[in-house]
Amino acid sequence: MPPIIHEEKCVKCGYCAQICPLDVLYLDKQEPNPRLRVRYPDECWHCRACEKDCPQGAITMRYPLSHFMLHYTPEKGGENQ
Amino acid sequence: MKTYTCDFLIVGGGVAGLMAAIPAAKSGAKVIIAEKADTRRSGSGANGNDHYHCYIPQCHGADPARARREIGSSFDAGPWTDPKLTDVWIMRSYEIVQMWESIGIDMRPTGEYHFEGHGIPGCQLYNLKFDGKNQKPALTAEALKQGAQILNHIVISEILTNEEGRVVGAIGADVHAEEPEAVLFQSKAVLLATGMVSRMYPSITPAYMFNTPCCPATTGSGQAMAYRAGARLVNMDMLKGHAGPKYFARGGKGTWIGITTDIHGKPFTPYGDKPSRATGDVTADVWPSCYYDRMKAGQGPTYMNCTETPPEDLDYMLHEAMVSEGIDSITDYTEQRNIDLSKEMIEFGTYPIMMSQRGIDCDEHSHTSIPGLYAAGNCMGNVGGSLAGAAAFGLVAGEDAAEYIKTVSQEDVSNHPKLKETLDLYQMLMERRNQPHAHWKEALSTLQNLMNEYGGVELQNEDTLKAGYTYVQQLKADSLNALGCENSHELMRTLELLDMIDLAEPIFLCRRNRKESRGPHIRSDYSFTNILLNNKFQTIEKDKDGTVHMDYRLRQ
Ligand SMILES: Cc1cc2nc3c(=O)[nH]c(=O)nc-3n(C[C@H](O)[C@H](O)[C@H](O)COP(=O)(O)OP(=O)(O)OC[C@H]3O[C@@H](n4cnc5c(N)ncnc54)[C@H](O)[C@@H]3O)c2cc1C
Ligand code: SF4
Ligand code: SF4
Repeated sequence: MPPIIHEEKCVKCGYCAQICPLDVLYLDKQEPNPRLRVRYPDECWHCRACEKDCPQGAITMRYPLSHFMLHYTPEKGGENQ
Repeated sequence: MKTYTCDFLIVGGGVAGLMAAIPAAKSGAKVIIAEKADTRRSGSGANGNDHYHCYIPQCHGADPARARREIGSSFDAGPWTDPKLTDVWIMRSYEIVQMWESIGIDMRPTGEYHFEGHGIPGCQLYNLKFDGKNQKPALTAEALKQGAQILNHIVISEILTNEEGRVVGAIGADVHAEEPEAVLFQSKAVLLATGMVSRMYPSITPAYMFNTPCCPATTGSGQAMAYRAGARLVNMDMLKGHAGPKYFARGGKGTWIGITTDIHGKPFTPYGDKPSRATGDVTADVWPSCYYDRMKAGQGPTYMNCTETPPEDLDYMLHEAMVSEGIDSITDYTEQRNIDLSKEMIEFGTYPIMMSQRGIDCDEHSHTSIPGLYAAGNCMGNVGGSLAGAAAFGLVAGEDAAEYIKTVSQEDVSNHPKLKETLDLYQMLMERRNQPHAHWKEALSTLQNLMNEYGGVELQNEDTLKAGYTYVQQLKADSLNALGCENSHELMRTLELLDMIDLAEPIFLCRRNRKESRGPHIRSDYSFTNILLNNKFQTIEKDKDGTVHMDYRLRQ
């Protein structure tokens, strides 16, 4: 699940769900346990808007293995050098 | 169903939409922005941008001739744009820079107007390096201050025209709650500012459709609505690519300070062999297919190499520039995974096609071929400039619409025939939740495969294009027969899908009709470039009976 909601900090204000450009997040208002759910994780753009705008600092990002960044240490002095 | 009446309805509250709202509302017009997400963080500029392509007289010289020539011939304008329109964004850019500064967007983080990145070595630099991380909240606040009304979480799916053919309103769905509610707008003028087409072709990770360089919520609705209503589209046959980190798709290649090299760290382009904070490396701008081309030619992977970037520049890139640009998920990712860019290179890839700045044909006032219908930003088909183009034509559209609305009267749309048709569509899609039904993702997967294989950048011929077109029609029929939605979120995604299916038609038809090879359009049956089509753009439009007309017009 791309954004991780840290339950202990989240006050269920719903702001992140309101501003997410992809409508990934959902405030489930069910009493007595309202919850902020990452409802459509596959549709996350990993833009960090929710993380940055959460007034409680209750969100951090997890980057899934599908969105893998390929990195390589250059082989200095290789045959093309 | 809710009903709203206004003078000027703006569809899409991205950069262009918000910029249009400001002058129109200021002039006293009743302006509504209908945005499917939330204007504070929506669209391709959601989290920021950092390059504003502009001409500032005290920096570039009082005579704009050189700027016009250099910007006009650069990749920022591009070959598929009308110079007359390029001139508008160049000449209005400084005014917008000053306006943005006045509403709290930091246009000179260093204290001076400073130009950096996307630079061609030896040329003047025109990309103002600014800090756009708050651009969307700031533009939203200004639009509200001027009196515009913003309705978030409303997805518009159809525009309405009257008997004479002028625009009179639009229909959409409020997707705020679990259950969608139809919304009808009666308006004298409408602006389409819905951005590019991000998800019509497969993503760099086909199983993950939202892994796209630009905002995946921009799905060509403006172009599709315009086409269905009979507006002229242009340059739909000129596919466009982008490049960046592989497999983590992200726009903003100009923010990187490094050089393009092979796996041994050896540069191979003529654009510099040392990282330069001043110019960046324009390889990804001018040759975005190089990563794919080199792999295909057996030349190995290609990297963004920051290993020789001075430590202070690397720190600046990761912790300031990428934040301004709204791409600091790259920073966060590399930090979480302990990737040290001073030692390791990041492989770049050529991203699959996205249709940006291909679409609605507009004049220099942002007017489409339908009276009262405007388009601005990435959904226009004949202007470049990215952010600067979107901001300028948003402004122009807002100013022009403010005058236009004084010349026409409101028309009652409560019995418009399109209204029933659209409500029936929503109802049909929602009612199917009670029975086994198809999901939008199934159909989008097929559409993406078709666009890639039959309508992509690989060598094509009449047979392939004709077959592709036929299959898309089959997909449309089957989709309409089978798709269903569980809730308003799924309705929004399904409407996006249907728009993208509709946009396949002008792409296939224009490509079939272009009986030559040119730029990204390569045909085995017409492998020559026909000089009679030089300096011409292909247009496509539907008449009242649904008959399609294609033509070539001069580049203006
Ligand atoms: C990471 C990144 C960095 C970039 N950096 C730069 C840069 O530094 N300089 C530069 O010049 N360009 C840059 N760009 C490009 C720039 O952001 C875009 O050109 C610009 O945002 C386009 O503005 P727009 O208003 O046309 O579209 P967008 O800003 O994408 O807005 C379109 C809006 O329409 C809404 N919408 C879509 N369909 C509907 C519908 N049917 N109903 C209601 N609403 C709808 C969307 O939610 C969205 O809010 C960057 C892009 C990205 C992704
Ligand atoms: S914005 Fe933060 S506090 Fe509010 S619901 Fe989201 S995660 Fe919870
Ligand atoms: S990272 Fe962006 S797209 Fe993903 S949930 Fe947060 S706001 Fe939405």
